Amino acid sequence: MSGGQSLNRKKQTGQTRKLAIAPYLFVLPNLLIFGVFIVIPSLLGLYYSFHVYDGLNPMKFNGLGNYIKIIGDKEFWTTIGRTGIYAAIVVPLIYAVALGIAMMLAREIRMRGLFRAIFYWPTMISFIIVGLTWKWIFGDSFGILNHMLTVIGVEPIGFLTSPFWANAAVIIATVWSRAGFFMVIFIAGLQAIPTDYYEAARLDGATGIKVFRHITLPLLKPTSLLVFMLALIDAFKAFPLMFALTGGGPGKETTYIVQYIYEIGFTKQELGLASAMSVMLFIIIGGFSALQFRMSKGGAV
Amino acid sequence: MKRKTNLKLSLSLVLIMTLIMLTACGNAGTNTGNTGKTDSGGGTEKATLDFLWFSDGNEGEVMKGIIKDYEQANANVKINLIEVGFKDLQTKLKTMISGGKPPALSRITDTGSFANQAVDLTPYVDSAEQFEGQFIDSLKPYYVINDKLVAAPMDVTANGLIYNKTLFDKAGVKVPTSPDDVWTWDEYTAALKEVMAKGGARYGMVWDVTPHRWSTLLYQNGGSILTEDGKAAAINSEAGIRTMDMFKQLHKDGIMPDSVWLGGENPNNLFRSGTVAAHWAGNWMISNYKDITDFEWGVTYMPKGTQRSSVPGGKFLMAFKDSGNEKEAAEFIKYLTSKEVNSKYNQESLFMSPRKDSAVLDYSFGKEMYQVFSDELKNTSPLAANDWSRQTIISKISTDLKNNIIDVLSDKATSQEAMDKTAKLINDAIANQ
Repeated sequence: MSGGQSLNRKKQTGQTRKLAIAPYLFVLPNLLIFGVFIVIPSLLGLYYSFHVYDGLNPMKFNGLGNYIKIIGDKEFWTTIGRTGIYAAIVVPLIYAVALGIAMMLAREIRMRGLFRAIFYWPTMISFIIVGLTWKWIFGDSFGILNHMLTVIGVEPIGFLTSPFWANAAVIIATVWSRAGFFMVIFIAGLQAIPTDYYEAARLDGATGIKVFRHITLPLLKPTSLLVFMLALIDAFKAFPLMFALTGGGPGKETTYIVQYIYEIGFTKQELGLASAMSVMLFIIIGGFSALQFRMSKGGAV
Repeated sequence: MKRKTNLKLSLSLVLIMTLIMLTACGNAGTNTGNTGKTDSGGGTEKATLDFLWFSDGNEGEVMKGIIKDYEQANANVKINLIEVGFKDLQTKLKTMISGGKPPALSRITDTGSFANQAVDLTPYVDSAEQFEGQFIDSLKPYYVINDKLVAAPMDVTANGLIYNKTLFDKAGVKVPTSPDDVWTWDEYTAALKEVMAKGGARYGMVWDVTPHRWSTLLYQNGGSILTEDGKAAAINSEAGIRTMDMFKQLHKDGIMPDSVWLGGENPNNLFRSGTVAAHWAGNWMISNYKDITDFEWGVTYMPKGTQRSSVPGGKFLMAFKDSGNEKEAAEFIKYLTSKEVNSKYNQESLFMSPRKDSAVLDYSFGKEMYQVFSDELKNTSPLAANDWSRQTIISKISTDLKNNIIDVLSDKATSQEAMDKTAKLINDAIANQ
């Protein structure tokens, strides 16, 4: 009897040990990919950032030289500022558009699945293609939009050559390509709100706007925070879309921080300096993530 | 019980996936080319040469044919052509070199950046002087660096003026037909305005967005980017400012569209649409424009400022140290630059030969156009090659120069400010060499 019991216990501990290892084994493939392709190169980048390096000839140790140079580099801070302004415009826009669409498509309407698919579609297209697609729309001489304007007798607009319009074009393309992704997150958030709140509100005679302000928004807070931070980080890392749409132009009007770093590294071949800039960017984005983590109490949504 | 087997099953699946991934990665690490290895095939030891290549037109196909001939004649050599896009070549080459697996040789434009990694071809040629003597003199600074023969020229390029014949004819405007009657800049802009007014061209001219093409006007005005000894910037001289002013005026007058330099519009597409009177590009566009059927086009002489000038460019072949096949690569380069093979390559690719003895080849298309281009090269300021062969400096300031030009076009800076700013960067780059 007792022998049987101890055998049982042994079996159990064996099983728990197996269960304890299992999750790690599940994580292992991703950890390997992440380690080989993200962690190791990042550490190398950190190492490069203290050197003068052109990717070819021997590295020269430069201590904090690169960082000192960046702090005094007006161009770098201008570009950070420009990126910040872009983010300040694009993030609220994406938030509003994604939430608006989600509110409509969270309801029981006909063809809901089709509409969701249509809005989600652009998020699956690579940024380069998104940029090129919008280039065909906004292009000065070949753009469809200018062609239509000419047909109805309006002077064509230099969508990609005037600083204002080029920024507008980039922002429109960004919102178009990202809103669908955040819409999905919002739909999940909206469906998690218990319906009895809404029923109670309706009994009390609250109007749509009031319901939205006092029930939907407060209860969506964790989701909102997540969307806000993800969109902000996205905006700071924006590059391929502008690269394809405006090439960062006219002049440097739509050159944001990642493209600037790319140019320093690959056009000017100053990989050490570019790595140091990437480290600075990493610190900035890391700051956003830490903020989000704290505000959402460790991700407890 | 069932859950346990499920767990076991999925775990083993995960492990198998991981294994596959690891082995795939591991293999990728060891399979990067057989550089320096020898395959023992058919009893003879074969050297395999990795040959990095990019194509603008059909020259890749021509090269494949030449490789086939070479392999037949040299049974001990196998050549592995690795084709990449022109934009990716530098990155790819850097990755291969810093990863310790350089290709045996590569087609290259940016000789200065890789000079330290290049095999000095001097021991492999009979005499360096004689070897260099075969090629156009203006190319020398590109491939002889620190008295080492770091590369060999494969073809030479020239900037020039491609024009829409149909539009010019419609407007009744004549283009120069011989070097003796080239336009002055004033005559040229007047001609363009006429083609716009009478021929219905939307724009007078388009110009590729690169400082290299922009500098054509700089040399025609007698200016240069660097001083002759390469020790200081010369771009903010009077000629440099005047060049910038002229360039801005062309945009202001609507002769050049803003959309190209400011909006990243592709000038080739604009020219192809048949609405532009002229495209300032280079001889490599001839094979590109070969298929235009909607209108007639041709090549004419560029106008002169204080002098005539084009900008030479070249594509070279470079062999790399530590590939394990330095000798074979050098032999192959010698073969490719020999009169017969090089002429075949350039003639079939519609390129210009860098060899003095093959100035005019028997092209199947546009022979008269090539005569114009080679005349432009003959009348080129020596300062042009002097500037552009100093790639280590040029590559550091090229993007800034482009952006500073754009600043002037978008009224963010005066010509003087933009050129002074560029000069400062140039001097910094020289100091940090």
